Amino acid sequence: MSDLDDFKATYFDECSELLTALEEEFAAIEAGERDSDRLNAVFRAIHSIKGGAGAFGFGALVGFAHAYETLLDYVRDGRVELTDEVVSLCIRANDIVADHVNAAQTGEALDADYGAEEKARFDALARGESGEDDEGGEPLEDFDIDFTPVMVNLGHAEGEAAVEDVFDVPPMAPAEGSWEIRFTPHRALYARANDPLLLFRELAALGTMRVKARMGQVPPLSDFEPFAVYCSWEISLSEPSLTEAQIREVFEFVDGDCDIAITQAGAVPAADLAAMEDDLLLDTGESDLASLLALTEDEMALPEPEAAIASLLDFAPEPKPVAASKQDRFEEAPALSFADLAATIAPASVAAPKPVAVAPKAMAPANSDGEESHRSNGVQSIRVDLDKVDRVVNMVGELVITQSMLTQQMDETLRARYTELVRGLEVLAQTTRGLQDSVMAIRAQPVKSVFSRMPRLVRELATKTSKRIKLETIGENTEIDKTVIEQLSDPLTHMIRNSADHGIESPDKRLAAGKSETGTIRLSAEQAGGNILIIVEDDGAGINRERVLKLARDKGIVAPDFTPSDEQIDQLIFAPGFSTAEAVSDISGRGVGMDVVLSNIKKIGGSVHVRSWTGKGCRMTLRLPLTLAVLDVMLVKVGESPYVVPLSSIVETMQCSRASFERVPSGGRVLQVRGEYVQVIDLGKRFGLAKPASSADQFVVLCESEGSQKVALVVDDIIGQQQVVIKSLEENFERVEGIAGGTILGDGNVALIVDVQGLRTTHLHQNAA
Amino acid sequence: MEALSLRDDLGDRAAAAGQNSLQLIAFSIGEQTYGVEITTVREIRAWNGATPLPNTREYVRGVINLRGTIVPIFDLRARFGDGQTSPTKNHVVVVMSVGDKWVGILVDAVSDILTVNRDDIHNVPEGNSIDTELLNGIVTHESRMVGLIDLQAVVSGAKADA
Repeated sequence: MSDLDDFKATYFDECSELLTALEEEFAAIEAGERDSDRLNAVFRAIHSIKGGAGAFGFGALVGFAHAYETLLDYVRDGRVELTDEVVSLCIRANDIVADHVNAAQTGEALDADYGAEEKARFDALARGESGEDDEGGEPLEDFDIDFTPVMVNLGHAEGEAAVEDVFDVPPMAPAEGSWEIRFTPHRALYARANDPLLLFRELAALGTMRVKARMGQVPPLSDFEPFAVYCSWEISLSEPSLTEAQIREVFEFVDGDCDIAITQAGAVPAADLAAMEDDLLLDTGESDLASLLALTEDEMALPEPEAAIASLLDFAPEPKPVAASKQDRFEEAPALSFADLAATIAPASVAAPKPVAVAPKAMAPANSDGEESHRSNGVQSIRVDLDKVDRVVNMVGELVITQSMLTQQMDETLRARYTELVRGLEVLAQTTRGLQDSVMAIRAQPVKSVFSRMPRLVRELATKTSKRIKLETIGENTEIDKTVIEQLSDPLTHMIRNSADHGIESPDKRLAAGKSETGTIRLSAEQAGGNILIIVEDDGAGINRERVLKLARDKGIVAPDFTPSDEQIDQLIFAPGFSTAEAVSDISGRGVGMDVVLSNIKKIGGSVHVRSWTGKGCRMTLRLPLTLAVLDVMLVKVGESPYVVPLSSIVETMQCSRASFERVPSGGRVLQVRGEYVQVIDLGKRFGLAKPASSADQFVVLCESEGSQKVALVVDDIIGQQQVVIKSLEENFERVEGIAGGTILGDGNVALIVDVQGLRTTHLHQNAA
Repeated sequence: MEALSLRDDLGDRAAAAGQNSLQLIAFSIGEQTYGVEITTVREIRAWNGATPLPNTREYVRGVINLRGTIVPIFDLRARFGDGQTSPTKNHVVVVMSVGDKWVGILVDAVSDILTVNRDDIHNVPEGNSIDTELLNGIVTHESRMVGLIDLQAVVSGAKADA
């Protein structure tokens, strides 16, 4: 069933997107934006999740989602007021839906009564407000996805007689609460992966229903177009208090993708009736349907089309003889669901009428996307395998290199001689650059996808630690490379966990300190040059430096006689195995958290900086590269080898002859820049490369690593700026100290990327040793 | 680059080779001949310089660009402790796959493709640890001794001691 698995995978992808959307909507609702658009969006999301879950048979999820949906429905039409209590219940419900989805995905079983409490509260709310209202009295607990199959009959043969039989109420005798619906889906309806069957199921929940399919337009097989729509339905629905609005509501999602005519029973316009008759007049001998069915004859060894239909009907639980009066057939004919019918027709390889053929599409990706874009003119998107995008990215990277290589080959004589060629190359350069930007934009995603997971985390942490915590997110539309985003989730989780557990104090402590009871964690993202800054800030107690230092000394992370600066103490929280929690809790204290942050962030070429204000709070800044694939660099020479320094970390460059170096007791040099003393690293010495030039010809590249700590790199020559594609050294080799990776230059040679941050930390180690 | 094509004469030799035989690419370092199993060899190319890697052992000659991928080059002579090779255009890099990584080995010359019998492979005599560490076995081919290189051992431990 790999097809089904594919559908499932898509469904779960979709669910995670919908759940993300839910978080967003509720964040807005919680903030006071209680307009109906928000609620409708929530409703649609839950509805889509429920729909898919129903298709795959995730009963628990469907049950819960249904109860939730009912509450939302009541809120929407004003029967239940959207109080803070209801909002927080809904937020809790979102978490439960997420857990259900997760359980369905992993195949784990949740406790049978998981979410039962919330469900009961939904019911209580729904009942409490709607009182004796009958239509609201649908027992939620008893919700069962296995609706009674709807009755279907193939409008076949004996034309006029059949028409008469369609109605069990005499025509022209309007009956209260009795409705006739003519439902003609358009192609778009199926394209958006809606399934009429699901609509019918919902209708069936409204009252006593009969459905009649009109297949008069089905062409001969030779003209049959697989994606065309040939089938429409007539539905008669009766229930004393049924209103047109209720019926319209069922069709809300397909509005615009189908023709719906809703009339009170008996009030069918004569013209319509005539049209119906036309449709239904299927001559047995020449009928298109008959010719379709004739195809099945060989397999079924049936002499007549009519017998074939009879055999179709035989699949129903209680087959009735075809010879029985048509009246019987229509009024009491065995209920035959579309699913059964589909199962019957499909194997016979007859091109089944459209609705049957696309039924499984209910799970297809277009479903919610289609609905969304239809409703809100949202972004049209396609799902593309990331591997495919990466292949394009890599190829474009190679193209950029080739292009710059070509440009380098053009010397002055060539330029003078082949002006056309030069012009062509310039256009090529522009186009390549544009192509590269576009490709990178494909990979870029808003950080929202990660940020939206955090509100739930904060809620849970607040509950577990009995603190009151508010999460603010800023700049969630900042876009960043997909790979970076994927690597961001874990570090952010740890950082927020850290803030909630260690940073924010308990409410009484906060009050005692003169702060508001509720602590705030602010999560923000912004672009700063070629970097993205992700900042996690809290207004808690800040880092307890005394304790951190004491613990670090106890654990031997800091030598007893070494007195680190405040900033250095703050950075200690990133040391592996370091934890200030007195007891290991299920939130934190095992000492792996911040260490993970540092290593994950370093892995994607970023850096972490922490700054703490005692009693006021703590701020952690992640500096991340905008993209992992392309880097603006300065090309330098160390010895005879080319090296590149990321442009984003360079502050300025200067000639050594103009720089003022000072000696320090350790024998090293420091550089004085505008009253600041900066550590000097001679790359030639550090990398063990012979240095032919005298120091006067050398250059200083002043770099800023994280935490506004500067470092001056001494290089032998500065060649220029360019864009490079980062290549991994580790792919075929291993990590090299002080080197962040490699890249291929225009001449085909490999240049190494200097890891500025790494150089500085190894330098510190050496100093400490 | 002058990548040599091995495909043509490979075909008939492979056909001639029985089940119990092993095909080797033989290359020389000074007077000595060594071999690696032919299936691990991806490409043979002339030495065209490499970008040195800092903080690595002396036998890591650096990295080269192999059609967009960065491949490290190991100097086999230096790996055996005989000092660094002074490579010329006539020196050869044999690119091989070790596990899921591609590495290049700098040798003096590639001499031949040998077909040897697996039963003829002898153990490396105990004695010098470098020999036993870096060779999988020894085989005699036309009265020449051919050391079978243990690629995994050659490329491991390349990082300089901190």
